[in-house]
Amino acid sequence: MLAHSQMLRASAQVTTIPLDPRAITDRSVDPLLPAGEALLDFVDAVLTGDEASQEVTREAVAGELGPSGLVDAAGVIANFEMMNRIADATGMPVGKGTLKRTAEWRELIGIDRFNHLGS
Amino acid sequence: MPFAFTDVEVEIRSNIRTLFRREWDRLALAGTWWSGAERGDIARAARHGRFGGDAQPSSLSDGAIEAAAAIGARPAAIRREWVERVANDLGYPRYVEIVGVTSRLAAIDTFHAAVGTAREPLPEPEPGEPSRSEEPQARPGAAWVPMVGGASITQALSLVDAESTAQEDMHGPLYLTYEGMAELDYVGGLSRAQMELVAARTSAINECFY
Repeated sequence: MLAHSQMLRASAQVTTIPLDPRAITDRSVDPLLPAGEALLDFVDAVLTGDEASQEVTREAVAGELGPSGLVDAAGVIANFEMMNRIADATGMPVGKGTLKRTAEWRELIGIDRFNHLGS
Repeated sequence: MPFAFTDVEVEIRSNIRTLFRREWDRLALAGTWWSGAERGDIARAARHGRFGGDAQPSSLSDGAIEAAAAIGARPAAIRREWVERVANDLGYPRYVEIVGVTSRLAAIDTFHAAVGTAREPLPEPEPGEPSRSEEPQARPGAAWVPMVGGASITQALSLVDAESTAQEDMHGPLYLTYEGMAELDYVGGLSRAQMELVAARTSAINECFY
């Protein structure tokens, strides 16, 4: 999550679009990103919801972003289901330099509680 | 033909359908350290761990079944001591091949849930022997399994080259190529920032720190 939260921040900065990154881990926060709420609802439904919630959120994403947006979102979720498993099952560490540079960022989005590697 | 997606309301890009068919071909064939039948049993154990249902007869050892189920179901619960114990039983190359097969299966199964269709039945295994080709440049390092070069997510499965190649093959059509990740203003069906929001939220739900 650390790597892609940083890519999210960098992409939002480069493209000058609004972003509140706390929404990654706190669903009471509006991500500000266009269609951000619909995308977060969709991710939550696909990974933790039932078929009914998946259908509702799928239609919402398709309504806001079109069929190609829906397929892209499904692809990204799928890819990170793969990558998360690879990272966790191989004990992929975050470098000490990265940890030092990202202390404030990690506190902002509250992700140190996921650091089970103890790195 | 598998992965036709005929009951899905949106059109699934041809590169994704082709990717999934290629992965099914890979799953059916002998890999580097496991036969086609064993790779199918790894996939069945992973689905059983993740989705439940009746356990099915398996040619695998208890350690291999446990590994596939754990990686399939809740990878954030995996710890170094467990990996060392499993690898002591199976050997690191066989463990890494289980990681590859199971993680790509998770991607394909999740994609199906996301677009609203049932999981694809697993392929029938093809005969053949594993190649058992060693990766002489792989070394132990900062991660929990040996790999080629320093610890890096793109090298995570490099102890078994075919699994590393298959990982990279999935990454492009589903998200971005490794090279394409430098393009922070990319826009496709989603903007790059929207893609990263989805990636980061997926990782948050999976409690994946990396």
